[in-house]
Amino acid sequence: MVEAGRSPNIEILTSARLENLDGKPGRFTAIVHQEPRFIDDDKCTACGTCTMYCPMPVVDLFNERLDITRAPHIDYAQAVPTSYYIDARACLRINYETCNLCAQTCTAQAIDFSQKPRKLNLDIGAVVLAPGFGRIDPSVLKKYGYGRFHNVVTSMEFERLTCASGPTEGHVVRLSDREPLKKIAFLQCVGSRDEICGNGYCSSVCCMYAIKEASVAKEHDPDLEVVLFFMDIRTQGKGFDAARERAEEKYGLRVIRARIPRVDQVDGRLALTWTTDDGKSCSELFDMVVLSEGLSAPKDAEAIAEIAGIELNHYGFCKTCVDSPLVASRKGVYVAGAFQGPKDIPESVTQASGVAAMVSELLSEARNTQTVTLSYPEEDKAIESEGPRIGVFVCHCGSNIAGVVDINAVRDYAGTLPDVVFCRDTLYSCSQDALKGIASKIKGNRLNRVVIAACSPRTHEPLFQETLKSIGLNPALIEMANIRDQCSWVHSQEPEAATEKAKEIVRMAVAKARLLEPLEQTTVDVSPTALVIGGGAAGMTAALCIADQGFECLLVERSDKLGGNLRRLVWTMDGGEASEVLDNLIKRVDGHPLVCVMLEAQVEDVSGYVGNFTSSIVKAGQPVVVDHGVIVIATGGREYSPTSYQYGVNKRVVTQLELEKSLASGKGILKNIKNVVMIQCVGSRGEDMRHCSRLCCTQAIKNALKLKGIKPDIRIYCLYRDMRTYGFSEDLFKEARKRGVIFIRYEPDRRPEVIERDGRIKVRVFDRLLKDEIDISACLVVLSVGITPGANDVLANVLKAPLTPEGFFLEAHVKLRPVELASEGIYVCGLAHGPKPLDESIAQAKAAAAKAAIPLAKGKAQVASIVSRVDKAACIGCGICESLCPFNAIRLFRVNKRRKAETITASCKGCGICASHCPTLAISMGGFTDEAIMAQIHAFAGERCV
Amino acid sequence: MNRLKNNSYQVGKIVAFCCNYTASVSTDTLRDADLIPENLDVRKLPCTGCIEVSALLDAFEQGAEAVFVAGCRSGECHNLSGSRRAEKRVVYTKRLLEELNIDPDRVEMFFVHRGETQPIVDAVRQMTRRILKLGQLHST
Repeated sequence: MVEAGRSPNIEILTSARLENLDGKPGRFTAIVHQEPRFIDDDKCTACGTCTMYCPMPVVDLFNERLDITRAPHIDYAQAVPTSYYIDARACLRINYETCNLCAQTCTAQAIDFSQKPRKLNLDIGAVVLAPGFGRIDPSVLKKYGYGRFHNVVTSMEFERLTCASGPTEGHVVRLSDREPLKKIAFLQCVGSRDEICGNGYCSSVCCMYAIKEASVAKEHDPDLEVVLFFMDIRTQGKGFDAARERAEEKYGLRVIRARIPRVDQVDGRLALTWTTDDGKSCSELFDMVVLSEGLSAPKDAEAIAEIAGIELNHYGFCKTCVDSPLVASRKGVYVAGAFQGPKDIPESVTQASGVAAMVSELLSEARNTQTVTLSYPEEDKAIESEGPRIGVFVCHCGSNIAGVVDINAVRDYAGTLPDVVFCRDTLYSCSQDALKGIASKIKGNRLNRVVIAACSPRTHEPLFQETLKSIGLNPALIEMANIRDQCSWVHSQEPEAATEKAKEIVRMAVAKARLLEPLEQTTVDVSPTALVIGGGAAGMTAALCIADQGFECLLVERSDKLGGNLRRLVWTMDGGEASEVLDNLIKRVDGHPLVCVMLEAQVEDVSGYVGNFTSSIVKAGQPVVVDHGVIVIATGGREYSPTSYQYGVNKRVVTQLELEKSLASGKGILKNIKNVVMIQCVGSRGEDMRHCSRLCCTQAIKNALKLKGIKPDIRIYCLYRDMRTYGFSEDLFKEARKRGVIFIRYEPDRRPEVIERDGRIKVRVFDRLLKDEIDISACLVVLSVGITPGANDVLANVLKAPLTPEGFFLEAHVKLRPVELASEGIYVCGLAHGPKPLDESIAQAKAAAAKAAIPLAKGKAQVASIVSRVDKAACIGCGICESLCPFNAIRLFRVNKRRKAETITASCKGCGICASHCPTLAISMGGFTDEAIMAQIHAFAGERCV
Repeated sequence: MNRLKNNSYQVGKIVAFCCNYTASVSTDTLRDADLIPENLDVRKLPCTGCIEVSALLDAFEQGAEAVFVAGCRSGECHNLSGSRRAEKRVVYTKRLLEELNIDPDRVEMFFVHRGETQPIVDAVRQMTRRILKLGQLHST
């Protein structure tokens, strides 16, 4: 978010709504109405003085009405833009022209009551809709006593309660009396999978977030008793099942399969009554009940749809197709995130990247025509190479620091430190005019090292680095002393000791600043070609997307034809013909001038780094060497081949894909078939593979409905563990039940058995309600086998890329970087990343293509300035650094018959693992050299040691 | 009242006739949480409308110090008029008790919101207070 806020090419319009959209793709005119904030976000320093002085309390909506704030406020400290705004409904100045206190107290003079609502006419090329999700109707929550009983809370409220910066500072308490909790219940599917409130779909995310919230609560108070009530446990995301099992075990979470119909209160305690799936009626009392509310369509979805001219589905979400999940029904309008259907963060981020690729395809001709690039003056090497002349700027941060720490004392003390030639205190160092002042003082005094004693470098260092760059100084020549978060905030009760500590922090920073060296800022050229490995649905989509963005793409496929697993699929989830999707993709790939396809080829070796990869690809025994800038892994997965349930022994035991194939080839196999038994989770979820294969539940139901469609009187039994028909697939699940498909749940310790006797097959399963085993005679047994990773380990070895324990490629960050590998320039999508249905694969392929196009479009890859550096003389070539580097950024080379380590700076992330493990201290980190850190430590001891 | 809440004392047996809808939370759960006294005997009926005067009198004969019926509120009864029938029986029982020289307050009809447990707990507390006021009916 901060990154988006800082980019010169992203303009953020807050409190704005789209009012009209005219024109055609590439040439839209949008009318946007923007409400004023009444606080100038360029001037606001987010000090909080306005909130402090405002007399008008308003309910804190960000904190779910659990707290009170004032008319001028900021939702949370990290909000972007990091600026306060005034709630116009409550403000006395706006409504009655009185008060004006905030404007008088604001030292940054950021408050501007002359702001008016404005209309903007924007010329734009494409529109991305990402309005997120809406909240469940309160009338649904009322049924569970919400609003009537204090201690019935929504999961959103509970989230705020567990948040350290929330209304209770992270203490989970009863809202009725603020006493600690002993026992708490989570009720799932509130406002989801609920016909009564009209939300028939599954919200997909609640099962996992309930587990997370329960874990956080347990982490806070280990004696807390937590009970979760599920219908089906739908933790189908990558690694989610494993995380859930860990949480259940570690925190002792009690899981009960029941849907609670209502909540009752007795003497302030909440009574729940339920019936378990073996027919027992139970009741228990709780201190708090958390309603895991589902995700609804956004409140103004209809208005958005009308203005943007797009269609909604029957639940009010944006309507999309399986083969183009990010495209709304109007050309040039795209959709990402929960507005497309309920989804979690990794999926939303993936879609967001995917949508960026779609826009980039559409607007590829206009690339770089309106881009703003910041330019900086040449670095003044002469000043930098002089002896250290340090300037110290001590920030008041309004009263945040000055209210506790004696700023003048700290400033004067700083002046006595060695090499400090200038010191000054500033009201807000980060405000625009203060930055200008700092810049002129640096220039005027020929300063070449700067210490800012203020807040956290995490949030503000880039800002000050920018200032240095703007006056021709290397951005590495700055050091921040955090005297706010680490001093005034935590020692607000002891001002004198805090002042002393602030002096010590400044002394340490100055000691380090004396040893700061300018760091080289290098860029490397990028060879403008992408290599896509794997020619399935994901690979073809990614290749086409990169090519449509205007870059050459080499698509390498191992087999003799394109298509991968999509070739075996007959129908898509929405009942469409899979072959249509396939033919369309192949036709486009074959016809695209920028896509070069290599069939029957395999990647044997890859070397290099982002922008400069060199791969050797073997085709028909002949190696071909190609240079390329990026790699997209789309090697796919495989259908699991079971050894149990008589598969392969009896020809009437088939897999779902085999059933699909024979259904498509004719109705012949349905002759004489009366009973069909489907067995879910064959191989998945702990049988042979640990993971959930995500798509088999929907696949089984899709096929069950096909069977019912062809032969309505056929009897279908589905033996399952949890039906994971998440999202809108829940509709299919409902349809299947309506059409008479019988669902029987089994536990993993009592899996069904397939028994053959006298040529007849029976499936034996334990029925939990009857408490007895039942035999179902079956004419056909269909196994819902999961997805196993392909031969990922071979490629992983070549790329030195990490795999998950299940054998899928591991992304750099589950939420923030879901399609990138830790090594820069390598991206992953499709089944190689994890099991997922076709639409998600396509969205992910687009996302990978978007990420891959970034270095290609830039033409140059920026190298981080804080990188490791090896002192060749001290290196003994032990190779510890090479084996530990998570980014393959350090390699051993032979220099004069000796092995020496060398950093590939383009790949280095500056994590410092190599430096901390080097036995001869031969590796140093730019900006964090051993000497500088030691100097800092010595300075810490400075006045105490004699 | 605290004494009543904590049930740290002994009173005679109370018999409660509830229907499936008025007693949803199990007695054991309530007893474990110390919300109702040990000596409360909840007898579940399909509907309070099927209660007979003899059943109410039997409860006294079996040692109850007080008896109450918790039926659905008017208009909420699953069987439309079940709880009203029960009320008639209770009123009749009150008359019989009077004839027997027993305080008619020892039997009572309560109309409670379906599925809510608080009114039941309150009813138990009210009957307990009555017993304490009226003294012992059965000699030990």
